Amino acid sequence: MSAQDANLAYVPTWCPGCGNYGIFNSLKKAFATLELDLEQTVLVNGIGCSSKIGQYINCYRIETLHGRSLPVATGVKLVNHNLTVIAEGGDGDGMGLGMGHFVHTARRNLDISYFIHNNQVYGLTKGQTSPTSEPGMFTKFTPPPLGNVERPVNIVDMAISLGASFVARAYTGNMPHLADMMVQAIRHRGFAVVDILQPCVSFNAINTYAWYQQRVRTIAADHDPSDRERAKSLAGLWGDEIPVGVFLREERPTFADSLAQLKEGPLTEQPVTGINITGLMEELT
Amino acid sequence: MKSDFSCLFAGEAGYGVMSAGSTVAKAAGRNNLWTFVVNEYPSLIKGGLNTCLVRLAAEPLQAHEEAIDCLASLSQEGMEQNYSRLQPNGLLIADASLAVDSTRLAPGVRVYQLPLLQKGSGDVAKIMSNSAMLGAFCAVSGFPIELIEAVLADEFKPEVFEKNRVLLRSTYEVALPQAAAATFPLPFSQAAARPMLINGNDAISMGALQAGCKFAAGYPMTPGSSVLTYLADNGPAFGLVFKQAEDEIAAINMLIGAGFAGVRAIGSTSGGGFSLMVEALGFAALAEVPLVMVNAQRGGPSTGQPTRTAQADLAFVLNASQGEFLRIVVAPGDIEECFYETFRAFNLAEKYQLPVIILTDKYLADSSATHPFFKTEGLAIERGKLADAAWLAAHQPYKRYEFTAGGVSARALPGTAGGRHIATSYTHGEDGFYSSGNYEYAGSEPEVTVKALDKLFDKEPHILAELEAVRLYGPETAELTLVVWGSTKGAALEAMTLAQAAGISVNVLQVVYLSPFPAAAVTEVLSRSRQTLLVEGNKTAQLGGLIRMHTGIQIANRYLKYDSRAFTPSQILLKIKEVLA
Ligand SMILES: Cc1ncc(C[n+]2csc(CCOP(=O)(O)OP(=O)(O)O)c2C)c(N)n1
Ligand code: SF4
Ligand SMILES: [Mg+2]
Repeated sequence: MSAQDANLAYVPTWCPGCGNYGIFNSLKKAFATLELDLEQTVLVNGIGCSSKIGQYINCYRIETLHGRSLPVATGVKLVNHNLTVIAEGGDGDGMGLGMGHFVHTARRNLDISYFIHNNQVYGLTKGQTSPTSEPGMFTKFTPPPLGNVERPVNIVDMAISLGASFVARAYTGNMPHLADMMVQAIRHRGFAVVDILQPCVSFNAINTYAWYQQRVRTIAADHDPSDRERAKSLAGLWGDEIPVGVFLREERPTFADSLAQLKEGPLTEQPVTGINITGLMEELT
Repeated sequence: MKSDFSCLFAGEAGYGVMSAGSTVAKAAGRNNLWTFVVNEYPSLIKGGLNTCLVRLAAEPLQAHEEAIDCLASLSQEGMEQNYSRLQPNGLLIADASLAVDSTRLAPGVRVYQLPLLQKGSGDVAKIMSNSAMLGAFCAVSGFPIELIEAVLADEFKPEVFEKNRVLLRSTYEVALPQAAAATFPLPFSQAAARPMLINGNDAISMGALQAGCKFAAGYPMTPGSSVLTYLADNGPAFGLVFKQAEDEIAAINMLIGAGFAGVRAIGSTSGGGFSLMVEALGFAALAEVPLVMVNAQRGGPSTGQPTRTAQADLAFVLNASQGEFLRIVVAPGDIEECFYETFRAFNLAEKYQLPVIILTDKYLADSSATHPFFKTEGLAIERGKLADAAWLAAHQPYKRYEFTAGGVSARALPGTAGGRHIATSYTHGEDGFYSSGNYEYAGSEPEVTVKALDKLFDKEPHILAELEAVRLYGPETAELTLVVWGSTKGAALEAMTLAQAAGISVNVLQVVYLSPFPAAAVTEVLSRSRQTLLVEGNKTAQLGGLIRMHTGIQIANRYLKYDSRAFTPSQILLKIKEVLA
């Protein structure tokens, strides 16, 4: 499989220069590297500029509601664990409306990869504050003089605390590295979060390519991702230096591993006919 | 001879009042009597008054009556609240510690005060009080004690059974000399086959398992939760996975994921939870993902009355979510319909690729009745248009949302070769692609929008054609036609029988499917009715409004009840007489 196999004939509608192109190309590259069977792959999106990626990638896709990609992905994975399930969406989608789902999906550790296009702003609705926006940022909803006064969510730090078993960060300005993070996340058996730093050229004048370029630092090769404490302290870094790479990798049983019903194979393959409920009726006599 | 007998068991939560009631009901059911059991309880864990009404008859029962022949109470409040329900010559069984106000009793009521409440610390002592209560009940009513013993022997482990049996017997012996050689007013004879004692939620859960449902998700909310509890307990043996979700929004979205991936899935909630699911309901409809959702109504609005009944969510579930789309709303009227309509709901959801809402209420969900085993022969699973690899190979390029005559297009499940597509919450054309703002659709958006919406509604006539959406009971024409939906069916049918016995000709029109609305069938019945009476458990006559909207027919008379309790046959009979007077 080549990166082209995942292409559809549709033309992406992102603004020229948008970081989403880098994510799109990296995802296709990751699919090719993994030689994923695209018929057995499901991409689950939320709603946002970011989430439109599902419109352009040729696997099975379900474009859900704003903020709801993770519960839909959970349903897909629980009933057919043979599928490769990837959820994808924006920082607003995942950390705003979808925050509750993020918390609980991380706790659950299902084998789902979750790629967050973190442009630190609401793109599709044309420039409002996001839960990851920088303090002081002026947006349509946090105009001057005050600007944004809330502390941003640190996605990596949260994901580690909540129990995601693979946590990484990447930057769209370094596509080979981003594709590699995606590959590792998809390979990982468990809930794998990649916080993808993505410039929005139309509505985020702060976190630009140049801004990221100055700050992004690849995590040192001697970092041991199984060291949770070290991962946590690395995750705390955000500012002049922003680490990218794999923070945490833990091998843990997934939620689905605990279910005896799945031992015989996915629920999608279980017979729906020939069911006998006589025993249930007898129990009520 | 009286044709029915009702006993109300009353006590604080934690004293086993409800299990006392179901023990009596099971014992009766195993011996050719029919029962109807209604539990009333406040939303409290400890304390508060719980009551269990057991109504027994030689004929099948579909409702309760407020009037009771026997009141057995372990608490003062249980008596205070129910004195007036006790009929002349009735029986009052009360713990010895309670103060009976005989001035509030009907003439001829016999009072038995006995040591029922078990001393001793802990919940075990408390809950055994119900065995003492049952012993007293058998002694004073003539209900055969050995039938109760037989049920207890099945329900308990031997040591526990023995303790309860001793208490049952000893209280019986103490009470017997005080009782005037009672004979129970209904005949017992051993049934050839034991029937079930089953409530609406059990029946729905069984219907789901019979239909091959393999996934359930939800968040607890009375009175919807017991479907989830049932499936959590019994589902695994049928290969079903139940997932408790972080909230109802997550629950419905998990179900949509499961449905998209190709598994039959069910959720169950009450109005508050359903409110949270509303946005995703439209998503399921537009993405054409099969979905089955139970909304067991309780008192509202808002948190409302968690443990009380109402029929006030009809307009809400019919209209919930923005935009216009087709949904199926079915309101089973009894336990039988809970089972078979749930089974059918899964077929409908898959055949027509849309959400099906099963609308019940606390009264139906939670009340039990004696019921023979469901007949499952001939129940056929219909999965609708599923595209397999061979079909897909012959139909490339595959269009998930192909515009077809009946609005239904072939569904490819993830993992099927040749079926890759996008399912989406955006308005879309045949290929599922977003029709708004994309270059490829720029010129054709209005046209695609119309086709996309028409596609959803093109299913409607086919659905109506295959459904028995209304049911008429009683004579084809009558002096008065009662118009009902949902659990009101039971009380209405009994009221019809009572009216007939009083020489009044009544029939009952039950609207089983509220969406798509069976306008032609309703018009057909109502246009030949002489007089009509709408009987609904809400304040604003929601079914009445719906009928008016779809048929232009205004139902002349209304009996609306929104006091948090269900209709009884006698109440409806009074109203019938009033209307025809
Ligand atoms: C329930 C709901 N609320 C609001 C919206 C409008 N909306 C669409 S996308 C979006 C925010 C997008 O921000 P983000 O998730 O960060 O994605 P981006 O566009 O930045 O990639 C909002 C608020 C919606 N579609 N649904
Ligand atoms: S608004 Fe921002 S995120 Fe959206 S497409 Fe344009 S540049 Fe990209
Ligand atoms: Mg964003």
